[in-house]
Amino acid sequence: MDNIAGTRSRLVWAVNLSVVALVVLWTIPTFGLLVSSVRNADQIASSGWWQALFPATQNLIVRAAPAESQTEEAGKFVLAGNALEGSSGTVSAFGTSSREPTAFAPGDVADLGDGQTLSVATDGSYRIESPTRFEGRSPRIFVTARTPPAFTSSNYAKVIGAEGLGRAFLNTMTVTIPATVIPILIAAFAAYALAWMEFPGRALLIAAVVGLLVVPLQMALIPLLKLHNAIGIGKDYLGIWLAHTGFGLPMAIYLLRNYMVGLPREIIESARVDGATDFQIFLKIILPLSFPALASFAIFQFLWTWNDLLVATVFLGNTESQLVMTGVLRELLGSKGGEWEILAASAFLSILVPLIVFFAMQKYLVRGLLAGSVK
Amino acid sequence: MKSVFLAGAAALALMTGTAAAQELKFEPGKDARFNWKSYEALKSQDLKGQEISILGPWLGPDKELIESVIDYFEAATGAKVNYSGSDSFEQQIVIDTEAGSPPNIAAFPQPGLVRDLAAKGQIAPLGQATSDWLRDNYAAGQSWVDLSTFKGKDGKDDLYGFFFKVDVKSLVWYVPENFEDAGYEVPKTMEELKALTDKIVADGGTPWCIGLGSGAATGWPATDWVEDLMLRTQSPADYDAWTSNGMKFDDPKVVAAIEEFGYFARNDKYVAGGAGAVASTDFRDSPKGLFASPPQCYMHRQASFIPAFFPDGTKVGEDVDFFYFPAYGSKDLGQPVLGAGTLFSITKDSPAARAFIEFLKSPIAHEVWMAQKGFLTPYKGVNTDVYGDPTLKKMGDILLGASTFRFDGSDLMPGAIGAGAFWTGMVDYTGGKDAKVVAGEIQKTWDALKK
Repeated sequence: MDNIAGTRSRLVWAVNLSVVALVVLWTIPTFGLLVSSVRNADQIASSGWWQALFPATQNLIVRAAPAESQTEEAGKFVLAGNALEGSSGTVSAFGTSSREPTAFAPGDVADLGDGQTLSVATDGSYRIESPTRFEGRSPRIFVTARTPPAFTSSNYAKVIGAEGLGRAFLNTMTVTIPATVIPILIAAFAAYALAWMEFPGRALLIAAVVGLLVVPLQMALIPLLKLHNAIGIGKDYLGIWLAHTGFGLPMAIYLLRNYMVGLPREIIESARVDGATDFQIFLKIILPLSFPALASFAIFQFLWTWNDLLVATVFLGNTESQLVMTGVLRELLGSKGGEWEILAASAFLSILVPLIVFFAMQKYLVRGLLAGSVK
Repeated sequence: MKSVFLAGAAALALMTGTAAAQELKFEPGKDARFNWKSYEALKSQDLKGQEISILGPWLGPDKELIESVIDYFEAATGAKVNYSGSDSFEQQIVIDTEAGSPPNIAAFPQPGLVRDLAAKGQIAPLGQATSDWLRDNYAAGQSWVDLSTFKGKDGKDDLYGFFFKVDVKSLVWYVPENFEDAGYEVPKTMEELKALTDKIVADGGTPWCIGLGSGAATGWPATDWVEDLMLRTQSPADYDAWTSNGMKFDDPKVVAAIEEFGYFARNDKYVAGGAGAVASTDFRDSPKGLFASPPQCYMHRQASFIPAFFPDGTKVGEDVDFFYFPAYGSKDLGQPVLGAGTLFSITKDSPAARAFIEFLKSPIAHEVWMAQKGFLTPYKGVNTDVYGDPTLKKMGDILLGASTFRFDGSDLMPGAIGAGAFWTGMVDYTGGKDAKVVAGEIQKTWDALKK
């Protein structure tokens, strides 16, 4: 008995451990992104995010204070300042030339030529003395220092302070909410018809819907925009609602039909016997029962339209009055891109609303998905 | 909840209201270096109530710069201009023109796409007067006219683009103080550059930082290298033949230019991180090695836009500087310069769009951007004293001192080559593939296009 019980408990442990390991594995990239979002561009370029959490040894090049700040002390001209700019690091070596950046220990006096001398203390404060007045550009100081982790909120400030972000937020909402509601409305009707109404060609229609799932929407961009221009919708909100509706419908109909087909036949048949019309059955019975599936699809569609950039730039246009949030965030990255720190910060800010939506409807999501997939 | 929402909307409306009423960057009439006469002349046109849209590749800080230029057009003529930028400009302009909702004006970063759209009849010709104007007023005017003259839908040659904003690519960036510390001199010829490269290796340093990574466009920095070296080893006529495939891609002359690039990029001792790191290093990160302590490399060959990716606070001219990527002293090919530029085309004709192209001919349109940053112009009628910093002036001098100016060859080639096979071929080449094989494969792709 002990043996069996022991085996079981060890298995439970193994399961728990692997679950923990998987969860950690899954969250590591997100955590890395979070760390990157509070580092500046130079830090990201010079070291990985996992090094950001610990003190690091850095080789810094600091230009000494400008010549205008020089003071005269006892016949000598002095430039002074701190090479670490106030952060609490400790200097382990310094140098005066890029050939030997670690030639001197802190406290040493290095010769800069022309009678100039440089000394750097452990706390990073430096002092350059010269018999003659400083002119032109100041010398460089090479410092090897161990510095504590440093973080910045400037990336978030830059994203939040971006011009037109508030406007873009409203634009995104204007796109997202109707683009979520309209397809659900249409799909619910269609799914009911395909699941419970007998008519010739029904199976073919279902097959067509499943077939449409594999058509990439990129193929439809030009013809659809052509159509919008021809019938006078042009690039406007109505156009993007229709586009999102069209692109979302196959998935919506498929998901909802599969769910509705699994509802007990007896309920619907007894309603029919009682004289209910199809519309009444749909409204009074199917719709309330399908709520989990509706909610789970709503989350999908909301996330997809919220994150969308492609459909928005094609059907809505790029002017400031119509730009969606993803468009503004892309503009922050500049013409040549590559600003990871801004990308990371904006990812965390733009994730906020989908997170709220997700947690608000999350209890339906799991139930809904399960119900839709297992007939 | 609803009232909060409405209050937020009202606050937003206020914010956007103030943003719309922005001021001109430089007050008209104040700074005598600017050609204000040309600004006043614009006011003769009254375009009040007219609206034009412009689509361009500039985003972020670059967008602010182009908008500061557009402001003068708006202020002088009363027209309203909507500029929007896109990082997938090449795709978007094709979608918009195909679908029939193009902007009035598009600013193309490369002529190849203009040629395609002009052949489909989707761009309005700018007319003989503009092409005469370019010939007379731009340095090396004829070459600019040639670069933007294409066959239209009717098969007739016409001017389809107006070059505005030019980049110089034949630049080598270096940190002057690192050169001073090590006692190196700026090389004047390619022979000296190669000698310096060897000397740096002998001194225990690494001469070059090269990075080809650029997401989906990985490989393009290498095409610039090859084009620059093509101009330094072969005649301009050969270069032109190469970009139009009159000379095959696997011609020994082209293969030699690719191998010339390999001389620098495929030698583990010459490149920071070794030859294996070339293709995987992002081009935006690769110049950062110049500023490391001790320096990871001493030189970086890249176009005039690269200072945007230097570490924060780097001052060009003080912390970092550039020299002309030199030509061979032993070859009689002069001082060739490789460049690129943006050309404005009318994708939906309107009087205001025409007026905007006329505006680009006025010195003030050039001077406003020159006085800020990142703008070079071949326009001879501007006052070069307005250049925002001395380095721009120095780049302008390289441009004006060129014996040969050639446009970025990959931008002239068909998209499938210049923005496809050439890029990936160069990644393969730096990865160790034979130059002849790579060139042969690119030619094969080109042949397939012609069928």
